[in-house]
Amino acid sequence: MHNVVTKSRDVTLLEVLDRVLDKGVVISGDAVISVADVDLIYLGLKVLLSSVETMEKYRGAPITGPMQEPT
Amino acid sequence: MTENQLVYLYCVTNKEPTLKEAESLVEGLYFIHHKDLYAVAGKVEESEFGEEGLKKNMADLEWVKANANTHEKIIEQVMANADVIPFKFGTLFNTDDSLRAMLEEYSEEFKTILRKLENKQEWGVKIYCDTDKLKESVINNESKILKIEGEIKSSPPGKAFFLEKKKTELLAQEVNRKINEYSQESFQLLEELSFEARINKLLPKEVTEREDDMVLNSAFLVGKNEVGDFINMVDTLKMHYENNGFFIDCTGPWPPYNFCGLSKQKVRNA
Repeated sequence: MHNVVTKSRDVTLLEVLDRVLDKGVVISGDAVISVADVDLIYLGLKVLLSSVETMEKYRGAPITGPMQEPT
Repeated sequence: MTENQLVYLYCVTNKEPTLKEAESLVEGLYFIHHKDLYAVAGKVEESEFGEEGLKKNMADLEWVKANANTHEKIIEQVMANADVIPFKFGTLFNTDDSLRAMLEEYSEEFKTILRKLENKQEWGVKIYCDTDKLKESVINNESKILKIEGEIKSSPPGKAFFLEKKKTELLAQEVNRKINEYSQESFQLLEELSFEARINKLLPKEVTEREDDMVLNSAFLVGKNEVGDFINMVDTLKMHYENNGFFIDCTGPWPPYNFCGLSKQKVRNA
């Protein structure tokens, strides 16, 4: 019953992008010259970059209230 | 360093990193040591990672895929032997000195975060729902729906029409209620086994490329000793819910991308 969770790269490309592009420490200030300013790549639509507004539009979230991350 | 190179920051750790394995992933990987902290960085070309180059390349899906994977793999290699603070993709500095200045500015904060992360791992749980399958299960099991179906059968056509409409509404309500109930319950049960938990933005189908809808996107900071319990709980949830149209996708351990937030006053312009 104990499933071993393995990271298959193909399966988790979404997971990688969801974290690497969207999370992780962001620092700002004089020292930093650039932080990629992108929320997520639309894999299905090829090369379209999503803005926060677009995410909002698509969200149609069944989970509401305190369950939703503030943006 | 030549003039047209930049410093790309992957992660910060408090233990001297072993870069042997990670060096095979990317050229020019090294670390900068400053005040008990080690920043794992790489030299990159300004033409590729400078503001203009990056803007252009972020529109190239293959480039993004390859580089995001490299970013992740390098951090994972460092994570194999140490606790890490992972940085967001594309964190760049002009020189080693400017990276060192950043380490100086944030050193206490980084140390606090690293203390918090000790002996813990990030795990991700995404829950998807096949609404048609859930509907079926609701139709067959909910007394309210069964009752109204009985009434429809014994009613004249006019009344049956309105009852049918009412049934559709009830069904939609019930499906939404179930989605909320299941995802909240799953989140709470897993949260109880974690030090910290986060709920993230739901991703649209265009991104997930799945037929079913994402109904929960969450991340948990789990103690290394509790990982077994955590995965057992995920398995329990799968057994309970997967017959009703839910699919639970659990992955990890991840670098703690979701649990390294800097205190608010430090994040300027963010």
